[in-house]
Amino acid sequence: MSRTIAYHRPFTLEEAVGLLESEGEAPRVLLGGGTIVNTGAVRQEVIDLQALGLNGINDEGGSVIIGAMATLQAVADDAAVPEAVREAAKAELPSTLRTVSTVGGTVGARSGESRLLATLLAFGGEVSCVGSAGPDQMPLATWLESGSGIITSITVESGGVAATAVTGRTPADVPIVAAVAHSSVDGVSLALTGVATTPVLVDPTSPTEGLTPFADFRGSIEYRLSVAATLSARVLAEVQA
Amino acid sequence: MSRIDITLELNGSTTTMGCEPHESLRSVLRRSGLVSVRFGSGTGETGSAGVLLDGVLVSADVVLAAQAHGHAVTTVESLNVTTGDMHPIQWAFVATGAMQSGFNAPAMVLGALALIERNPDPSEDEIRDMLSGILDRETGYVKPVEAIKRAAAVMRGETPEPFGVEILDAMTDGRNGIPHDPSSPVIDVPRSYPRLVPSRDVPTMNVVGKPEVKVDAVKLAKGNPAFTDDIEIRDMLYAKVLRSPHAHARIISIDDAAARALPGVRAVIHHENIERVKYASGGQSYPNPRPHDQVSFDNKVRHVGDRVAAVAADTIEIAEDAIGLIQVEYEVLPAIFDENLAMVDGAPVIHDEDDTSDITDQQRNIVHKILAERGDVSAAFSKAPKTYEQTFRVHQVQPAPIEPHISIAWLDSDERMVIRTATQVPFHTRRMIAPLLGMPIKDIRVIKPRIGGGFGAKQEMLIEDIAAHLAIATRQPVRLELTREEEFVSSRTRHPHTITFSTAVDHDGTLLAQNMRLIGNTGPYGTHGYTVQTVAGLRGLTSYNAKNKRFDCDVVYTNIPVPGAYRGYGAPQALFALESHMEDIADDLGIDAIEFRRKNWVKVGDELDIAPHLGEQGVAEEELDEYPKVSSNGIEECMAQGQRAIQWHRRDDPGWTAPAERPHIRRGIGFAFCMHGTAIPFLDMGGCSIKINDDGSFNMLVGATDLGTGADTVLGQIAAEVLGVPLDDIKVYSSDTDMTPFDTGAYASSTTYISGTAAMKAAQAVREQIKERAAKMLGIEEPCTIELKDKRAYAPDGNSVSLEDIALDSLHLDEQHQIMGTASFVSPDCPPPFAAQFAEIEVDIDTGQITVTKLVMAVDCGVAINPVTASGQVEGGMIQALGYGHCEEYALDETGKMVNASFGPYKIYRADEMPETEVYLIQTMEDSGPFGAKAIAEIPKDGVAPAIRNALVNATGTRMHAIPFTPERVWAAMNS
Repeated sequence: MSRTIAYHRPFTLEEAVGLLESEGEAPRVLLGGGTIVNTGAVRQEVIDLQALGLNGINDEGGSVIIGAMATLQAVADDAAVPEAVREAAKAELPSTLRTVSTVGGTVGARSGESRLLATLLAFGGEVSCVGSAGPDQMPLATWLESGSGIITSITVESGGVAATAVTGRTPADVPIVAAVAHSSVDGVSLALTGVATTPVLVDPTSPTEGLTPFADFRGSIEYRLSVAATLSARVLAEVQA
Repeated sequence: MSRIDITLELNGSTTTMGCEPHESLRSVLRRSGLVSVRFGSGTGETGSAGVLLDGVLVSADVVLAAQAHGHAVTTVESLNVTTGDMHPIQWAFVATGAMQSGFNAPAMVLGALALIERNPDPSEDEIRDMLSGILDRETGYVKPVEAIKRAAAVMRGETPEPFGVEILDAMTDGRNGIPHDPSSPVIDVPRSYPRLVPSRDVPTMNVVGKPEVKVDAVKLAKGNPAFTDDIEIRDMLYAKVLRSPHAHARIISIDDAAARALPGVRAVIHHENIERVKYASGGQSYPNPRPHDQVSFDNKVRHVGDRVAAVAADTIEIAEDAIGLIQVEYEVLPAIFDENLAMVDGAPVIHDEDDTSDITDQQRNIVHKILAERGDVSAAFSKAPKTYEQTFRVHQVQPAPIEPHISIAWLDSDERMVIRTATQVPFHTRRMIAPLLGMPIKDIRVIKPRIGGGFGAKQEMLIEDIAAHLAIATRQPVRLELTREEEFVSSRTRHPHTITFSTAVDHDGTLLAQNMRLIGNTGPYGTHGYTVQTVAGLRGLTSYNAKNKRFDCDVVYTNIPVPGAYRGYGAPQALFALESHMEDIADDLGIDAIEFRRKNWVKVGDELDIAPHLGEQGVAEEELDEYPKVSSNGIEECMAQGQRAIQWHRRDDPGWTAPAERPHIRRGIGFAFCMHGTAIPFLDMGGCSIKINDDGSFNMLVGATDLGTGADTVLGQIAAEVLGVPLDDIKVYSSDTDMTPFDTGAYASSTTYISGTAAMKAAQAVREQIKERAAKMLGIEEPCTIELKDKRAYAPDGNSVSLEDIALDSLHLDEQHQIMGTASFVSPDCPPPFAAQFAEIEVDIDTGQITVTKLVMAVDCGVAINPVTASGQVEGGMIQALGYGHCEEYALDETGKMVNASFGPYKIYRADEMPETEVYLIQTMEDSGPFGAKAIAEIPKDGVAPAIRNALVNATGTRMHAIPFTPERVWAAMNS
């Protein structure tokens, strides 16, 4: 929990990076969503990227570049975005939060339960970011492990066939486990949520091998592995059919 | 921190205002007087702070005010341009009964506005998606969806059919059951329409039984200042509470010096500076059930979230900072959370203090031992051909009203304590808080404004004493509002139970005896601990006739967050166990599950023989000369309508239960029989006062507390019917301990029946005075021949005089007299409502995921005074009950800390994931009720969990013995 003590709205990326590298406690980048709760003892400066023009969604022919500041609602509404990604963006949050939460914020939060992140992974997501060393680009999976800096966009493939299967307490619940498969000319990708601290790409031929899920009140390790195997089989069968 | 100036296009006007960097958009808008932007949680998932940002619906909780700089912000106040008129969306919400408490109505209206502007003809899925970010604990989203559909039609220039009640023909003679006919066509009307089966015993009425618009609808639709937090008081301080991180610990020392030294801190209170006065926080009648095991601040904490200290400061932020500066040294003690283990010798003793009396067995944490028996249960079991025993576990959940607890306390100019508070029990609160403050009752005034839902959580003096203590300490107004996390960890919850039912049955399926063994977990305090458990016994042992019955109950202290009252009050726990047990016995006996119940359920004339032996007033030890009897019962019509609606025959169709195209899916349909109570006999009391105004309208003052149920409307309808006026001529005010007559409060399904009868009697007293005056004015010798209707008093010869003329004559012209009447009512009866609850589900046999696809409830609530508000009660209640059975639960870690204290992790249903719901109101004429009414508020909570459970039996053969039916639990049961 933190309390905002200063608000910055830079108008250039350079200015934003400069703020990030300022002396003392690094400011936090506001990427929308419910993660900023202004209570608690920790003082925090924040950087609002809304003026940087990072909210565009562009069809590049074979891929789609989604600006980091595009809201989940904008992603859900944009016909250029693959249907499975649109559905995942819509399912990520309810209406009043989806309109302020962004794709970049979702990537930055690295939630292991994010269906949208799993879908971006399955669609070959690439993260563009900028930091003190300048611009950089890396696979989303790599970013989830060790990425830093300001995310500027996420690029996903726009073709292929996808299937998603989820298990939750209710139809709109954050899935206990979700499986997303994407089949394209490059082969089949399979991503899972609920089985690691971040969503992960797994080997479609042995989806649960090597996984060490966390356990919580919604699902034990044994249960998560069982459901991951079941849902993986279902989505793989669907895309391969 | 440096203050920021922001400029907004606020409701169409360019507005510049200052804010702190940390302030949310909600905070700034409320500070600007836009009170329709409300607090439900700091993380935005309730949607209570919904506004339009550049025309898009967002939760203003999670937008910093600074982020909105340069943008257009729209609140519902922008629509309120004309007094007395409204936007078509607001009219649609009013006309369809889409608001109960109305706490989130402004956000829904705004969301609808944005949606319809983007898409003039939105689909139901699109409407539900828009509503997905606005949680509603009251309506089940049924009528808000209908309102938005109709508003869109109006805004397209169409004229939708008037919203109304669908009148259905009866399928039975009212007494005897009929076989389910698979060919009987289902009723095809919109889900939101109340489906009403009239009774021939009910006379024609003008206002009662009509779908009148709620009397508070306009202010709710407009977002006008109506709730506790919607006032501003000069020099108000903000309070925060320091809460225990430990489930069980002794406070060795408290050092508050640093907190007191913080600039802006005005008071710090804790056990060292607040007098130790014992009390029980449950809002119940005098004398409050014992033990009185609480004090405002104790030297011991008994659950994570328990009170340790409180601060009042100039701002919330200073108060939060001050809380962090209080140094507390704890001696951490062993804690216990399981009710079964808490009774074991050697378990930690939770109440080891020497000033709490009336704990049955302090060393074994047993607060109460409750025993009641009719007949000879042991003898019946020893002779019975078949006996059964099953144990069930029901868990801890929260009422979770969207408006958290909030109280504002101040000393008025007479130095009397005024407490404006979100409470269901203003009169109990006034009486209970007096000794804690050391003030006489006469110097305390409790005001209940509109309440954003309560469901029992607010049948408690939960935080009022803290705000009042701080107001006394500072001599300034003090506001205390719980965060959502505090609401979870420190408010009130449903008691977990371990219930064992033992049943003896004859060869033909006749029940011979039932034994209900209940271990109730009352957490760290006994509030409602006695009464919830006795009601569980009452509900568990009165639904079915058995000559021999026994209730054997231990109520046990543990260190879980505090249980208390929650809509249903013991019945949902008992009926999950009972209706599961009955299903399984029927299956074992090879008898149809409905026929087995029908053979044994109580019918008109049957005695509710254990009822007087279980109640808030204590257990009647002696045999009574007479026992209460069932006087009205519409269950057979409920069964017929419900079975038709759910298409009961499909449960026997393998092609439906195991769809070939979806091999991992099984389907099932389940049923539960429900019976509840109507008020607490000889205890619940309501009062009402009515006076005539110059224009022939009436002011009606009631102590009853409408917490969103529509109680004010129902009471107004009853008075209007008696006085022969439209509802609009009855101006209802509730409730204020200085102004309104006493009422025990909103609980125990009592308001329509108890307060409604008081309203009827008060109106009758006024009617007699009007008749006398009219007779005099018309030259009639016998006032009793006068009839009131259409705002006039009619003589038998057809001559008439208006109520306005009568009022003017009485108030100004001749033998002046204020026509007014006051009445109160307490009932010797408790006529039960009955219901048939059906559930249709799909089960994923590989993952255990249950999807509830349809719920049908057919309810006999006597005469529904207002079918729209009554059906709304059922729609909302069923969905709360669905959460109880399906997905809601408290998850505590090994230290007793709740790990899911926010919406989302604590899962309540959203608009975009709802099952289909249908509600049928089956009229019966309950002669003891006002215009034939019985209760309806709580019975929708009783049957959903067992109906789902029994549907799972139908689908898979799996028999669950615990709730909720979350995927892993079902998966484990199917694989066991």
